[in-house]
Amino acid sequence: MSHHDLVYQKKNLPESLKRLGSILVVVGLVLGVAGFIFDAQRALFDYLLAYVFIMSIAVGSLFLIALEYLAGADWSTPIRRIPEFLSSLIPILFILVIPLLLNLRSIFEWSHPDVTSHDKILSGKSPYLNTTFFIIRTLVTVGIWSLFYFLFIGNSRKQDISKDQLLTKKNNKLSAAFMPIFAITITISAIDWMMSLEPHWFSTIFGIYFFAGSFVAALAAITLATVLLKEKGHLHPRMNNEHLFSLGALQFTFINFWAYIAFSQFMLIWYANLPEETFWFIGRWGGYWSYISLGLIFIHFLVPYAVLLTQPAKMDPKRLKFISIWILFAHVLDLYWLIMPQVHSAKAGALTILFEFGFIIAALGGIILVFYFNAKKQNLVPVGDPKLEKGLNFRL
Amino acid sequence: MNIDYSQELPVIEGRITLADIDRLIAKPLDEKPDRKFFIALSITLTLLLIGAISVTYLFFNGTGVWGLNQPVGWAFDITNFVFWVGIGHAGTLISAVLYLLRQKWRTGIARFAEAMTIFAVMCAGIFPIIHTGRPWLAGYLTPYPNQHGLWVNFTSPLVWDVFAVSTYFTVSLVFWYVGLIPDFGVLRDRTASKLKKVIYSVFSLGWRNSHRNWQHYEKAYMLLAGFATPLVLSVHTIVSFDFAVSIIPGWHTTIFPPYFVAGAIFSGFAMVVTVLIFVRKVFDLQEIITLNHLEKMNKIILVTGSMVGYAYGMEFFIAWYSGNPFEQFVFINRAFGPYAWAYWIMVSCNVIIPQLFWFKKIRRTIPAMLVIVIFVNVGMWFERFVITVTSLHRDFLPSSWGYFIPTIVDIGTLIGSFGLFFTLVLLFTKTLPVVAMSEIKAVAEGAQPSHHGGDH
Amino acid sequence: MSTNKLFGITALFNTPDELVHAAAKVNELGYKNYDVHTPYPLHGMDSVMKLKPSKLGYITLSFGLSGAAFALLFMYWAMSLDYPMIIGGKPFFALPAFVPITFEVTVLFATLATVIGMLAFYFKFPSNSHPLHDTPYMKAVSGDKYGVCIEADDKIFDSEKVKALFNELHAKEISEVFYPAIEVANIFEPKFITLLVLIGLLTSGATYVTLNKLIYMTPFDWMMNQNKVNAQSKSLFYADGFGMRKPVDGTVARNFIPYEYKGLAAPVVPLSNPLTPTNEVLNLGKKRFLTFCSPCHGNFGDGDSRLRGQFPNPPSLHSEKVRGWLDGNIYHVIVNGQNVMPSYSSQLSRDERWAVIHYIRALQKAKNASPLEILEAKKETSSNVAP
Repeated sequence: MSHHDLVYQKKNLPESLKRLGSILVVVGLVLGVAGFIFDAQRALFDYLLAYVFIMSIAVGSLFLIALEYLAGADWSTPIRRIPEFLSSLIPILFILVIPLLLNLRSIFEWSHPDVTSHDKILSGKSPYLNTTFFIIRTLVTVGIWSLFYFLFIGNSRKQDISKDQLLTKKNNKLSAAFMPIFAITITISAIDWMMSLEPHWFSTIFGIYFFAGSFVAALAAITLATVLLKEKGHLHPRMNNEHLFSLGALQFTFINFWAYIAFSQFMLIWYANLPEETFWFIGRWGGYWSYISLGLIFIHFLVPYAVLLTQPAKMDPKRLKFISIWILFAHVLDLYWLIMPQVHSAKAGALTILFEFGFIIAALGGIILVFYFNAKKQNLVPVGDPKLEKGLNFRL
Repeated sequence: MNIDYSQELPVIEGRITLADIDRLIAKPLDEKPDRKFFIALSITLTLLLIGAISVTYLFFNGTGVWGLNQPVGWAFDITNFVFWVGIGHAGTLISAVLYLLRQKWRTGIARFAEAMTIFAVMCAGIFPIIHTGRPWLAGYLTPYPNQHGLWVNFTSPLVWDVFAVSTYFTVSLVFWYVGLIPDFGVLRDRTASKLKKVIYSVFSLGWRNSHRNWQHYEKAYMLLAGFATPLVLSVHTIVSFDFAVSIIPGWHTTIFPPYFVAGAIFSGFAMVVTVLIFVRKVFDLQEIITLNHLEKMNKIILVTGSMVGYAYGMEFFIAWYSGNPFEQFVFINRAFGPYAWAYWIMVSCNVIIPQLFWFKKIRRTIPAMLVIVIFVNVGMWFERFVITVTSLHRDFLPSSWGYFIPTIVDIGTLIGSFGLFFTLVLLFTKTLPVVAMSEIKAVAEGAQPSHHGGDH
Repeated sequence: MSTNKLFGITALFNTPDELVHAAAKVNELGYKNYDVHTPYPLHGMDSVMKLKPSKLGYITLSFGLSGAAFALLFMYWAMSLDYPMIIGGKPFFALPAFVPITFEVTVLFATLATVIGMLAFYFKFPSNSHPLHDTPYMKAVSGDKYGVCIEADDKIFDSEKVKALFNELHAKEISEVFYPAIEVANIFEPKFITLLVLIGLLTSGATYVTLNKLIYMTPFDWMMNQNKVNAQSKSLFYADGFGMRKPVDGTVARNFIPYEYKGLAAPVVPLSNPLTPTNEVLNLGKKRFLTFCSPCHGNFGDGDSRLRGQFPNPPSLHSEKVRGWLDGNIYHVIVNGQNVMPSYSSQLSRDERWAVIHYIRALQKAKNASPLEILEAKKETSSNVAP
């Protein structure tokens, strides 16, 4: 093996990826728009689902970047470009959120002043849950994320050329500042976009619940991209399966964390049995919802738990590929379970299921396209990062 | 100061040989305790005696000697219990979670932190046992086939507590002991005293430093760490269930499990830092328990302290957001009612003061960090006090509102638990190696084969 | 003390690199019964020695799963089958509430099995009599040296060849280790006997004191002695000196309905029997009648007291007068008493009184039936009898 083989050389991603992304976007949008014509309200909720899905992947990735800097981790340095590319979805959220902001009245009960004025609890909440403040909060949170995104990524890209260690230090400091802001913004997003769909319901753990699900989904997306890119030789040639271990282990940890948070929330509400809290779960138990609620335990916890339990499993590329796709699906299901029971639409039937996932398909296509265009312009390995060498030497 | 990010930080400071490590760590065990040790021990034993007297007085007279009243039927007992269980979380966290995260710096502090876990859980265990005033009745909490034909109520959070705390204590003890086995081997081979040799031989079980054993040993250690991690979370989660499964406003809130866990880590690390500051100085272990270690722990204190702050904020916000007048009242009453003093002690010690750890200079200055971690210890005790007492003292029925004032027996028992804790810590430093010798040796410079042998 | 039987030959090295090299060589030459000894685990040694991955995880997994199954099944049995009780409105099998204990038991089983499995099954511990113990070699490898030991029972072991190999590897120290002589402890040693006697005395003494003295002392005496006023004790607090207090005037006991015609000659409004004379009611009536009424009224209500003159005999219940009474009148007599008959209201509950009345009616019917009625009754009963 010559020395030359062990140096990273940039390779372009195949054109077929772009084609796949475009097809998914087109097909998804066609289905979504058809769904909109069929049942506008339900389609808006489908769109909200897709929006939250993109948001969770993007912000979860940004969180992983900050976590790497903050913890001084080096195992993730060789693959840091992947979360960086995924978090470039954040500024796009500004555009994606517009259809939602224009249709708040079709989504949120609290946006109807005539309803809130007759409801003592809702009128009590109106200082927080009102259209103006909601739009301000949305724009500010996405704005803050974008700001951090540009700062982190800007420093990281500059380092490719300058190899300046000071940039790492800057990002370290940024990440420390990011963490508390992240905690607040993701909680606000979770409360605004999901919890307030049922404005009478409340749960203090809800922000953490959403964070747990998003981060594990972001990890799944990152792992999937890492394994695929590594197989096709787009990453650093010195990477081996042991580098995958931490990704597997983190997924395993946060699958458990999600289950822990989900169980805590359910358990406390079930045990105390207060009607003002239980109705939310009861609404997710009627009809076919009980299957989805129970299915979440298996799909979002037991199956990934069993698949990732052993140490060899956590670095087996085949298994990781499978479980990453599985977890992404589980995350969609989780969001579906959070959002869709709040749809009160008269129209239902076989046709709805046809259109239901149009926007999610488009979202997947969009993520692939964004990734493709990012990868076209930049190195897939942060070649100037001082921690890269340590990261490549990482062994269990 | 500029750090070179391409280099790994050494775990041990200075060039210290393997033989030096053994000598340094075994030194307190080889020497006879000095005057200072006996002075310290007599202080802690006095505190313990105060506790023993208080508890004996309690057993003779019943729980009426405490300041409990209607509606505050739970005060110091549960506060102290949760406080000590919380302290007991840092040890397992350091030894298990940091092990799984492959944080090598844990080696210097893991043994000590684990010991503190065990002692803290012992202190915690006292309170549920004495809180009925009839400790021998605690046996009824175990499910055994009895003449009443009854089983314990497996759906009761208090029974969960029994299972959680006893499992946690057992597993921590086993984990600690497994870590000690190779060190007993070292001590056995070092000691000149005949009696000590017999004791160390018995406890080492015949450890032979064989690699065929090390292989299973490392696997077992990893498996134990893998189990101890969710266990440590489960214990404080179950402690939080004691409160949160009820319907009392201020207790029943879904964020309690992760909030309690974060608080436990927070208080546990604060206590570990408090004790380690003295230990590294007294036993001359500055090279093994370095300033870097303390700084990292201070960072964790900052992170977990902020998590606790997040939970305080969330509770307040959702209390308002819920639109439930009882919830709203409890939180307003907490911050501005008769117990406002306790609430603001809690907030300033737990959320505001640890923010000083944002400054690197403070994170690395011993006196400053000592002051801060002591504040954190105080604040975390008050957190449990605030949760317990302020939620109870003004319940749904204004006619039964009351105010809890601790009696001298309450305070004596609390003092006694500190006495027990520090007595055990002192005895530990003189009887067992306070740092894991074999683990420290494994991370010393040049301790590992230079090329990563085999088929990599 | 050691025998002449060779256990193995050991070699010491100063650095881990030398040891890795030596172990690789020993393994390459085909030795099977050898071991390396290091003060801490060396990374990569597993692959140098070609050790198979540890199977300890399987013990952990199987015991963890059995712990979970055991806990769940046990709680299911105890809470749903053996002593089902509704607690907090939850179902008998309240799965979410069983999760915490199931988890704890799983962890307990798994960790204990892992450690005990490792120590007892893999290491065969405790074993303080291994030949390597107490050798200078062991002292060195538990400090800062790295050693390899080839055991004599290896198939290709040859003392000279092994020594040559170690020399070739530049070992710092090579030594032979022999099996130790087996020591036999003398159990009849006076010291040991004394110890046993002392332990025996201590245990029996402590047991005696606990069972005969301690559990009768405060605070272990189950609150036998309390500073409170008992019903039968003298009280200095109350003016009349009694510890026992009467209920406040007008106190009505729970479930007690006062009889409104008490003290009157007869009920003002006729009362009717609320019970249907079913088998159960008549049986109850019979039972109570035989217990409370028959001593004076006789077993069949004839007024033939079983008390043989110790108490004035009452009139027969089969008189025209009593047969003509309304049920309410009999009830009134039971509650109020009549002539020398006291009130039976504290012996018989309301339902029991009415049941007794049914039974009296049955007795009256039986004693005073007309021939026609007897014939009809016989017909009815005979038609019920299978031919």
